[in-house]
Amino acid sequence: MKTVTRIALSLAIGIVLAITSAWSQDDMTIVDNAAFDNPQRTPSVFVHDAHNEAAGIDDCAECHHVYEDGKRLEDESSEDQSCSECHDLKGSGGQPSLIKAFHTSCKGCHQAQKKGPIMCGECHIK
Amino acid sequence: MHTFYNFVSGPLAWVAFILFFGGSIYRIASMLKLVAEKERFIFSYMSWRYSLRSILHWIIPFATVNWRRQPVLTVVTFTFHLCLLATPIFLLSHVVLWDEAFNVSWWTLPDAVADVMTIIVILGAVYFLVRRVTQPEVKFVTSASDFVILTIVAAPFITGFLAYHQWLSYPLMMCLHVLAGDILLAAMPFTRLSHMLFSPFTRAYMGSEFGKVRHARDW
Ligand code: HEC
Ligand code: HEC
Ligand code: HEC
Ligand code: HEC
Ligand code: HEM
Repeated sequence: MKTVTRIALSLAIGIVLAITSAWSQDDMTIVDNAAFDNPQRTPSVFVHDAHNEAAGIDDCAECHHVYEDGKRLEDESSEDQSCSECHDLKGSGGQPSLIKAFHTSCKGCHQAQKKGPIMCGECHIK
Repeated sequence: MHTFYNFVSGPLAWVAFILFFGGSIYRIASMLKLVAEKERFIFSYMSWRYSLRSILHWIIPFATVNWRRQPVLTVVTFTFHLCLLATPIFLLSHVVLWDEAFNVSWWTLPDAVADVMTIIVILGAVYFLVRRVTQPEVKFVTSASDFVILTIVAAPFITGFLAYHQWLSYPLMMCLHVLAGDILLAAMPFTRLSHMLFSPFTRAYMGSEFGKVRHARDW
């Protein structure tokens, strides 16, 4: 009886895990923090598609930008790249460090629009 | 809540920091001016050697007779003051905000370590509170302002701790925390918390008088 329960339980857990990880591949609900060594906070909530719909952002380059000579290119976007591919942990010159790239991009727009979270724990929810 | 947060972490924080730095300079300058006017002779026996010797002894735990006489108080006082000063300066959240606001950043404590240091400050404050209420010789010299000062010091740590763990209402706790921090900064030069500014001068004076005039130690 005990072994049966155990097998059933591990099967159930396995299925749930498989389904949820499949979900998270389709629908981004958080911003991955793997690029940071030794992350100190929970990853920030960010339901990609629902967020952008609610915020009414049509231009992907609002976040996924491309710069040339310090100027943002109007009609190019970089959604095929992670932010961390261009923004390293230190930052250099006009290019903000990775943490600041995220914070400036996210919080900056929320402050400008007076909508959306601005305090640490509203994004890094425990 | 966001409007209030932006106010306490923006304009009000500016006011608090200006009062803190401006007030500190003002208090030290007027103290030196007063000495120069009233007791100018003190300068004649101030000595770097005896000053630093005294300060050095008093900032090392158990290096003075008084520290050795009260071992528990000594341990609590030293850890309390160390955590009190180091936690807000090297806190990741604070440095993140400095970086975003002024493009300056420095080494930070891991959040888990800062959290323990915060608990130490809160427990230290509780210890001082209990001591004030229960020890007759301390109670004797205690006035209402001592409890106010203790509250002003503990408040940013209690609210910061609750905010960090997101216990109770997070946005409310965050606003209260920043407000409490602003109050502490502004109050430091103008309350007895100014011992932070004056204790090196007091020690230098005592050290010089004992060393140069009385030829004795002051520790
Ligand atoms: C509000 C900012 C924002 C907007 C607008 C935005 N994205 Fe993203 N997107 C992000 C962030 C942040 C990530 C995570 C990047 C990282 O991890 O480095 C991301 C990741 C992605 C990814 C990788 C998906 C994954 O699951 O890893 C794709 C693809 C993508 N975005 C496409 C788009 C497209 C297409 C648009 C326009 C319709 C768009 N994004 C608009 C912020 C945005
Ligand atoms: C293809 C490389 C590249 C990618 C990918 C990229 N950035 Fe940038 N980003 C740059 C460069 C280059 C600059 C510097 C611009 C300048 O010199 O002013 C910059 C500047 C910024 C700035 C400061 C200027 C501003 O727009 O406010 C922010 C914030 C920022 N990036 C956030 C992000 C975020 C968030 C992502 C991921 C969604 C991202 N970046 C992805 C190259 C990139
Ligand atoms: C161009 C503007 C803009 C940018 C960039 C942006 N946001 Fe937002 N965000 C908004 C707006 C507007 C809202 C409020 C939407 C509404 O009315 O519900 C919002 C709401 C949110 C919310 C609360 C609602 C929800 O979707 O759960 C979260 C969390 C959030 N943003 C996270 C982020 C993060 C993380 C980033 C950076 C990767 C980011 N935002 C970048 C405009 C932006
Ligand atoms: C608008 C949402 C938002 C707010 C507000 C916000 N962050 Fe973040 N933060 C992010 C995103 C997105 C990242 C990228 C990686 C991730 O998801 O953690 C990030 C990354 C970080 C990182 C680096 C990764 C780690 O866990 O070590 C730290 C540290 C951090 N934030 C601290 C803070 C602090 C402290 C505050 C408040 C002063 C704050 N954040 C406010 C969205 C936010
Ligand atoms: C001298 C005054 C201040 C002291 C002593 C202080 C102390 C603290 C402490 C002890 C914590 C919690 C750390 C933990 O438990 O791990 C904290 C968190 C925090 N403090 Fe302060 N603080 C002060 C002023 C401020 C000010 C003025 C601001 C903002 C402008 C601020 C913003 C924050 C933020 C954003 C957090 C993190 C909360 C979170 O993680 O969600 N603090 N502070």
